[in-house]
Amino acid sequence: MNKPELLSPAGDFERLKIALLYGADAVYIGGNFNLRANADNFNLEEIRKGVSYAHERGKKVYVTVNIAMHNAEVLKIKDYLLKLDKIGPDAIIVSDPAIIKIARENTNLTIHLSTQASTLNKEAVNYWKQEGVKRIVLARECTYEDIKTIKESVDIELEVFIHGAMCASYSGRCVLSNYLTARDSNRGGCSQICRWDFELYDDKEPLKGDKPFTFCTKDLSLIKHIPDLINLGVDSLKIEGRMRSAYYIATIVKVYRTIIDEYWNNPDAYAYNLKYEQILRRVANRDSVPQFFNGIFDKRVQYYNGREEKTNQDFIGIVLDYDSQTGLAKIEQRNYFACGDEIEIFGPTDEMKFVITELYDEYMQPLEIVRHPKQVVYLKVPRAVFANYMVKKA
Amino acid sequence: MKKAVIINSLKQAQDIVDLVDAYMVPIQKFSMNYDHVFSLSAIKEIKALNKEVFVIINKNIHNDELAELQNLLNDLDKIAITGLVFYDVALVNLKTKLKLKTDLVWAQEHMTTNYATINYWYDKGVKYAYLSSELTKAEIEQIKAQTNMKLFVNGFGYVPMFSSQRRLVNNYIEHFNLENHQGPKQIYKEGNYYPIIDKENGTTVYSNYVLNAIAKLDVDYLVYNSYLINDEDFKIILKYNKSDKYPEEYGFLYKETIYKVKNNE
Repeated sequence: MNKPELLSPAGDFERLKIALLYGADAVYIGGNFNLRANADNFNLEEIRKGVSYAHERGKKVYVTVNIAMHNAEVLKIKDYLLKLDKIGPDAIIVSDPAIIKIARENTNLTIHLSTQASTLNKEAVNYWKQEGVKRIVLARECTYEDIKTIKESVDIELEVFIHGAMCASYSGRCVLSNYLTARDSNRGGCSQICRWDFELYDDKEPLKGDKPFTFCTKDLSLIKHIPDLINLGVDSLKIEGRMRSAYYIATIVKVYRTIIDEYWNNPDAYAYNLKYEQILRRVANRDSVPQFFNGIFDKRVQYYNGREEKTNQDFIGIVLDYDSQTGLAKIEQRNYFACGDEIEIFGPTDEMKFVITELYDEYMQPLEIVRHPKQVVYLKVPRAVFANYMVKKA
Repeated sequence: MKKAVIINSLKQAQDIVDLVDAYMVPIQKFSMNYDHVFSLSAIKEIKALNKEVFVIINKNIHNDELAELQNLLNDLDKIAITGLVFYDVALVNLKTKLKLKTDLVWAQEHMTTNYATINYWYDKGVKYAYLSSELTKAEIEQIKAQTNMKLFVNGFGYVPMFSSQRRLVNNYIEHFNLENHQGPKQIYKEGNYYPIIDKENGTTVYSNYVLNAIAKLDVDYLVYNSYLINDEDFKIILKYNKSDKYPEEYGFLYKETIYKVKNNE
């Protein structure tokens, strides 16, 4: 059994650095032809920069190329794959088999099959293995038993989503976005209609609960099942969210890094720690459950909340620098905070909690309140901190 | 151009036999997006009508369903249906493994969108492709010009636009403890009603309009879906290819979808 890789999303180079710093073994990023067309995707130079940065640290980068092509993309894809091949990411994540064929015939790119292909069973996995796919990102509808059966039946790498938002549909089987907003969901234009409220009618009579009808589901969290996944021999544990913030990435990656290491290093002594679950809850804006993993996909996994999702304002800043002479940390603001607030600063393996007693503006004038987004301030901290440490409300 | 018809009942199949070239038959346990599904014995009766018969096996398959699926595929192969309409790639592997003679129809719904992927499946021995309903007419014509694959395209009826393993209507009703009158369900948003069905294999949501692009398409098989269409009205459509009740509605044939991508070259 190998120790599974922790795989994090990275929406841009800054988040790529954060993900790797906080403990991810690999990141996945979007270039052209991916399913987050409205994210800050990486251009080829940024991919080159990200791949170099990761490889220098012994980490990996996978590039998503997971659209369902229309004819127009067919003409462009080969050139793009050739350019990617020269950069040398560790794999591309693909769903369209024509892209697999073009990549295999023209490049040395390693191919991972996207969850968009909705692979749920050993026969499908066998098919893709014969096609030269090295790893399958399993469908989110896979149960524990599905994963076990596939792992026992086929010698191929498996990647499983462990955390993040869920499609309400089977991946690839929703074009609500096309019909309601003329944006093509399978080419990256998804406008998340599944989060909208609708009125439900039964034989033309309203069927109305206390909250409107929606497709929306709770998020996925397999925090309690990491030992199960490790024991199954799953090769990669994947976090969803290429459009999420650096703070979110740092927090989620750090928690899962800790759990994986704790269990891997001493499985007999491992005990589930509720504290980690509480940390994850604080950065989420929806409740989370294990979803299909434990075979439950009834009313308990739906999210009926009238679109009132929580806005997280815990994240108050990011450390830019630290001066050991003065003991002052240079902070860039993300949310309102003030002198007298109790805060926590955390890094990849470090955390500290204290009350703010000294705060200065960029001209070193004393300050009581930090109210402006991206305002740069100086904060007295009890011990050394480093760039990219996160500052949050305690 | 052949008329391929998704039927609602055996009686309907018998009733329209002179108007169709092929039946597309959803089957019990392994189909989704259809209100009416048929048993193996019903399929044998449909086969006896001496038309082409395509059986739709389009649900996403879990491992614990594979044994039953294999038995079903062997049975269907014995009755010599024309084709198996598949979504899950497991069927491609099983066709080889079980040495099935029945041809395959690649039908990954919204992802059957370009000639290169169609040709990929053609090279794997797949004989037919059921194109996405979200293509433009120009894209369909370009695909036709670039492939030898026989093509199916939806020409008439409500079009599925969302499929989930979750039973979303049932979940809502149970969550809020509502009384289900078992009537046809719709969801409403901004002036539009969308049919929604909740079946054993999950939930499907359909377009708010009845597609009627018969006059604009020229492919090997034009698909007519009778779901939610009165039997008599459906017969008129099959017979005359038009109806006062269902004006022409072209869906995406002349409407391109967009997706924003910054220039990352």
